[in-house]
This record gives sequence, C-alpha cells and structure tokens, in this order.
Amino acid sequence: MKGFSNRWTDLPDYILGITHEIWEERGLATLNHYYTPDIPMRFPEGVSIGNQRTINGTLATLAEFPDRELTGEDVIWSGTAEEGFLSSHRLLTMGTHTGGGYFGPPTGKRFVIRAIADCAAINDQINDEWLIRDTAGIVTQLGMDPKQFARDVIAREGGPEQCVRPFCPAEDVEGPYKGRGNDNEWGQRLSDILTRMMDKDFSVIRAEYDRAVQTEHPASTTVHSWADTEKLWMGLRSSFPNATFAIEHQIGREDPMLSPRAAVRWSLHGKHDGWGMFGQPTGADVYVMGFTHAEFGPYGLRREWTLFDHVSIWKQILMQQG
Amino acid sequence: MSEQAMQGFDPRWESPEAYILGVTQQIWEDRGIATLKRYYADDIVVRSPASVVVGNAGVIGATMATLAEFPDRQLLGEDVIWCTADGGGFLSSHRLISTATHRYAGAYGRASAARLRYRILADCHAVNNQIDDEWLVRDQGAIAHQLGVTARDHAAKLIHDEGGPEVCVKPFTPANDVAGPYHGTGNDNEWGQRLASILTRIAGADFTVIPAEYDRGASLHYPSGLDTEGHDGADQFWMGLHASFPGAVFRVGHVIGRSDPMMPPRASLRWSLDGVHSGWGRFGQPTGASVHVMGITHADFGPRGLRREFTLFDETAIWKQILLQTGEK
Repeated sequence: MKGFSNRWTDLPDYILGITHEIWEERGLATLNHYYTPDIPMRFPEGVSIGNQRTINGTLATLAEFPDRELTGEDVIWSGTAEEGFLSSHRLLTMGTHTGGGYFGPPTGKRFVIRAIADCAAINDQINDEWLIRDTAGIVTQLGMDPKQFARDVIAREGGPEQCVRPFCPAEDVEGPYKGRGNDNEWGQRLSDILTRMMDKDFSVIRAEYDRAVQTEHPASTTVHSWADTEKLWMGLRSSFPNATFAIEHQIGREDPMLSPRAAVRWSLHGKHDGWGMFGQPTGADVYVMGFTHAEFGPYGLRREWTLFDHVSIWKQILMQQG
Repeated sequence: MSEQAMQGFDPRWESPEAYILGVTQQIWEDRGIATLKRYYADDIVVRSPASVVVGNAGVIGATMATLAEFPDRQLLGEDVIWCTADGGGFLSSHRLISTATHRYAGAYGRASAARLRYRILADCHAVNNQIDDEWLVRDQGAIAHQLGVTARDHAAKLIHDEGGPEVCVKPFTPANDVAGPYHGTGNDNEWGQRLASILTRIAGADFTVIPAEYDRGASLHYPSGLDTEGHDGADQFWMGLHASFPGAVFRVGHVIGRSDPMMPPRASLRWSLDGVHSGWGRFGQPTGASVHVMGITHADFGPRGLRREFTLFDETAIWKQILLQTGEK
C-alpha cells in the first residue's frame, strides 16, 4: 500500500474503512483529504466535478436519510499502489426517509438498495469515480413509480431544456484514470457472457449460468434460475435492439475464501426503438451506464448483480419526447 | 474422499453433489417419480417439522400430489454440503430454492395462480445408491405468506382439515422420532465448528457474537421468505426466535464444514430448540406451550466473517404445536 496511510492493510480495507469514516462516523470533512479537489464523478444522473460538490451531496443525502448506513458486500479490484488501483465496490445502502429532499417530502419509509462504485485510488486518495445507485429501488420502496418520478424530476428542474442532463459521452469529462482493468480469466468470462447476450445470443445463459443462479437487478429485483434471468436481460436489450454495447472496464479475481469473481462496467448507447422494459418505442437516443458483478462456482455463474438506472433512462426518453 | 463416499453407487454419479442434484432432477423435473422406488429405501425415515413418515410408498403419492397442484415446480440446487458416513456413503445437506405456480386445487386450497418461491434444506443419508434416512425443512411459512395467509392461520387450517386436534398429523418432536440407519454427527472441519459456536453463543443469549463473527454486509435468508442483511438483520431474527423460547435447550444435531475449490469455506448445521413458549417474541403472546424447533442453517464464510446465512425452520409447524396445546383455532 505504498503512498497510502499505513493504517490500511490492503485496498478492500481502505475502501471499506473510508466509506465507514465518511458515512457512519459522519467524517464528511475527511472527503477533503480522501477525494481530490477536481475529482470527476460520473453518475447515470449526470457528472459532478470536485470534492466540494461531493461533500454537499453527501450532506444533502444525510439530511434526507439521517440514519443512512452503507455496508460493503464486496470490493473487486485491479491495479497496484504505484500505478493506481481501481476498486469496484458493491454495497448495500439503507435508511429511513425522514427528511425532505431529492425524493420529495418525507415518507417515513425505509429502503434498502444496492449500489456499485468504481473508484480509482492512488496516494491515499480517490481521484476518479463512476457510481450507480439503484434509484428505481429507492423510488419504488418509497411508494413511487420510476417513470413518474423521472417526469417529476424534469419538471422540478425546469423542464426538458433546463433540467440536469443525464450522463452520456457528450457530457463526460476526462479523468486521471486510464486503466481498463486486468486480464484475469474470470473478468474475460463475464465480458464474454455479457457480449454474447448483447449480440442476442441468449443461449449463453443456459450454457454459462448455474441453474440455481441468484440474479439481482435494478428496481430491487431478485430472481432465480435461467428463465427469469433471461427475461430481465431480454427486456433491456429489446428496448434498445440496435444500440452499441461496449465493455468499459473489466476485472477478474481469485482471492482466498471467496469464489472466483468479476466486475465489469459496460455501456449501451443507441435508440429506444424496440418494445421492452421501457414500453412503447420512442426513438429517443439513450445512454445506459451499467455495472455487473458475478461470482462463479463449479456449475457456472452462481450469483449476478447488475445495476443500471431506470430513472435516468426514463429521464432521457421523456426529455426527448418533450 | 469423494471416491470413498461413492463406493457402491452407480458409476454415472461421480460425486455426492452429482448424485443429489441428479436424483432430484430425475424425480421432479424429469418426472421419474417411479425412480423413488430405487433411490429411496423401502423403510426410509423422513423427518420434517410437520411429521415423521416411514417408507417410500407415501413419498411417491405425496410427490404426485404436489406435481398435480404445482405442475411447473422447479427444484434448483443451490448447494450440497456433505461429509462421509461411517459404514459407507455420505450425509448430504442440500439447499434448494423451489419455484412453482399454484395452478390446480390441492392441499393448499383452490388454484390461485400464485407464484411461489421458497427454500428447502434437506439432510439425506445415501449409501449404495440409495437414500435411507432424511431430515427435511421446507419453508412452509413462505408458502403460506405467498398464498396470502399467515403461518399461524395456515397451521389452524391444517388442524381443521386434518380432522381436528385429536386426529391431525402431529408435528415432529423427539417423542415421535423414529430411529433410522444414520447415526453420524458430521465431520470436524473448522468451519462447521465455527458455525456451531456462533449459533450456540446466540442461543446462550450472547448476541455480541453477531458483530464479532458476521460480516457487516452479510446476506441473510430466514424463514417465511425473509431476506435481510447485516448485523441488525441477524440480531433481530435470532432475538425474535430466542425471545419466544427463553429457557429452551439448544442442541447441535449434526455439523459439516467444507472447503472446496471455487467455493468459499462453508458449513451446514442441523440444530434443535426444545422448551416452553414463555416469552414475547416472534410467536406473540406467551402461551406456555412446549415446542420443538427443528432448524437447519447453511453459512458461507469470507475474509470478514460469516458472509451469507440461510436458516430455516418451519414456522407453521411451530404454530401447530402452540395451537394444539392452547386449543385456539
């Protein structure tokens, strides 16, 4: 851990440790140290630059959900202390909606959702980030509908012309991290599976997934086995049947006490020109930022966690419909 | 170890996992119900929280009844945690998740089209290509909830449908147990011991073991289909159970630990709780009923402690014991 404080034994320890300090111990000000002043943070909702905006965003979230907790499920990482690490951190986040904020007036309801954050870390600091939260999961658990919520957000932000623009390559900014991950076989295997699905070769699910697979998708959706997993991926692909799929970053790992596992960041960019999970085709140009984590076992892919943001997809569709 | 366990088995099964997963699929999805005559011993003892059944004849009828009511039932094998048995063969602790649509009328009432999803933990002793002893916990509470009734009301309905408190099927207790051929207690792998120690400390009301031994981000799967997580999730579940039976005796019946390639270290534990329903907790107002809880727990361990837990007992069988003693309907 050269360049990092000697209190951290390894990268997972660092990532889990600073997450705990920032959130549970309320060390928001430690972001001044742990996040670089000009860090680019890319969310499906948009791009944010700099640690001061991160601190303010964190504060706003804590005001809305004062009891918010984050518990790390996994840290799948690549790189070295010298060249910089990339950590793909899967976590659960839970809280009670007791304050007003982004999600509207307080509902008093509790939520538990998953998020995945890809963070580049070097010299004890995070200097580049990609983050997806299951916003559709929060919205649904607070009793709202993701499509209607997206419509309300557009209106609240001043209409389709003025509202915050969801992330797409045109909005992207260049950050310091240029890596593409590692070449471990399990990362490659997950990339191949995703690529075959996006090439519409859905037989890959029966070939590569354990029959008892547990699949976790956005909008707090948990399914088991092949048929329902297939349905989720087909629902996404069939809404954007001609969109371009790309692997953005790929990590595979074999670590003691854990199954072989992988973390892939991917994108799907193109027209909303098919019937699928986003309803009637509108022809809107849509960018989908996606993350998939997987664990493999003796009978194939055993657990899959995928996140993309339904709300930002609806927002892009509705903004273009006017 | 696998070769030793598989002596006397059909060579088509290369390992205990292959045998257990393969036989399950043959019987259910592939409709080879008749193969139960071969794969289940004539005098097999099947203990579930709901009953004790001896012999394979009843099992065949029950399998057909289930498939008549839920024709698309799938049994998805999530894990097989096994150990070798003295005298040959093995003891397999099989975790399954089952999906099914309630398409036709049957033991669960009129067809409802409800989609069910529930877990099962089954400990089977297999020797000479045949299963001859079994302990099975099915999440009947999850089935009841998904069909729109509480576990308590489902138990009350069972008592009524089976002819009332005098003649209804009696839930499993040590008093009506039947001895079968398997007398093993598992293996002495460290991960089994670790799980046994955790659950024993919890049963002894030492709940500090949860933050000490569970990963903060642990995924937890509990009876009645509850999926929860983390230290609070474990604390609330186990607190709710033990608070209902505060003086009950906790016993470890069988324990297996394993470290296998491509898998985290993991453990399977069959346990029981015997005592009086004398406290407020998961089962509501104390009734003074004597209760036996048959439980099975599977756990995966990781670098930061217990990372996944799957615990089942049959909530409806506990309610049945309570209602039979209180006479409530």
